[in-house]
Amino acid sequence: MDSDTKQIAFGLRHRDVALLQSLVEQYQYRLVRYLIYLLGRRDGVDDLVQETWLRVLERGSSYDGCSRFEPWLFTVARNLAIDQTRKRRTFSLDSSDDEEWDAPAAPHTSNDPSPFTLAARTEDAERLALSMQTLDPVYREALVLRFQEDLSLQEISSVVAAPVSTVASRIYRGLATLRVQLEKGNHAI
Amino acid sequence: MQSDNHKLFQQMIDETLASGTPLQEDRTLREHLQSCAVCEEYLNSSTRAIASLAGFSFAVDPMLHAKVSASLSRRAQQLEATPLSRRRWVFACIGAFVLTVAGTLFDLQFHSLIAAFFKVPGVHVQQGLLHFWIVSSLSPVLLFLLLPLLSRQKERAL
Repeated sequence: MDSDTKQIAFGLRHRDVALLQSLVEQYQYRLVRYLIYLLGRRDGVDDLVQETWLRVLERGSSYDGCSRFEPWLFTVARNLAIDQTRKRRTFSLDSSDDEEWDAPAAPHTSNDPSPFTLAARTEDAERLALSMQTLDPVYREALVLRFQEDLSLQEISSVVAAPVSTVASRIYRGLATLRVQLEKGNHAI
Repeated sequence: MQSDNHKLFQQMIDETLASGTPLQEDRTLREHLQSCAVCEEYLNSSTRAIASLAGFSFAVDPMLHAKVSASLSRRAQQLEATPLSRRRWVFACIGAFVLTVAGTLFDLQFHSLIAAFFKVPGVHVQQGLLHFWIVSSLSPVLLFLLLPLLSRQKERAL
């Protein structure tokens, strides 16, 4: 792993487009999934993915290759998502028209099915789809990073810029919500 | 008392799952789980909740990879071109600055000699040097100083 990360760091320092394209292919789905969990919506995610890779190209020299690439990539994506959200909120407050801007923290309000409902492939996932949408984004984010991306608590802590204890408690709470939802589903049956 | 015991072990289960440590490594927890149906159920439902996350499969635009690759190539070309043209611009401006200083010194020191040689008034020589040398070399220097301001305005407009 160490030589891989060093190789990635070397390539990013030299703005190796071929390496970047292979990274795009390798991490594309994971980046899309992470951003959907973070934002709770599908629209705008592709643009953010594109911006993330451009940022990786421009600021790739800041990745030192001493740790895994994934946490660094998710940190870049997260910062861009937060910037975009802030811009949207500012625009929404300044704007005089009635156009609706959905903030990532806000639950899915439109009539379209949520990205989680559309993505549910199993019965349990279908049961969880609604609560995933209403779950606080910080819990959703902690869950996806820990159980889908297989990041360690320390790595998640560096991505979300929060202490390890906070990350752990987000995971406990997120899991508790999901457990309750699954139990409700069982009782309903 | 019994409920406190469950809470303690359930907290241990949470910690184990969050840290990714195999449950088998904790002997106390392992033994408790063998004899406690409540905590075993807690572990099972937690594991089920974690497994259910894998049940979400998000659709990705098949064109996304091509779009990202194209924009990366474009941006990489821009980034490669930028430092070279900026460096050239800096060298040109340094050259222009040197010419401005040299022209000014030349004008101050030798305008009377030139005027005498060509038998023209000294003021005309000074004006000629000012218009055709000093002003023309000073312009790129001033433009260079204004460049950061202009590019910032352009970024704001975008």
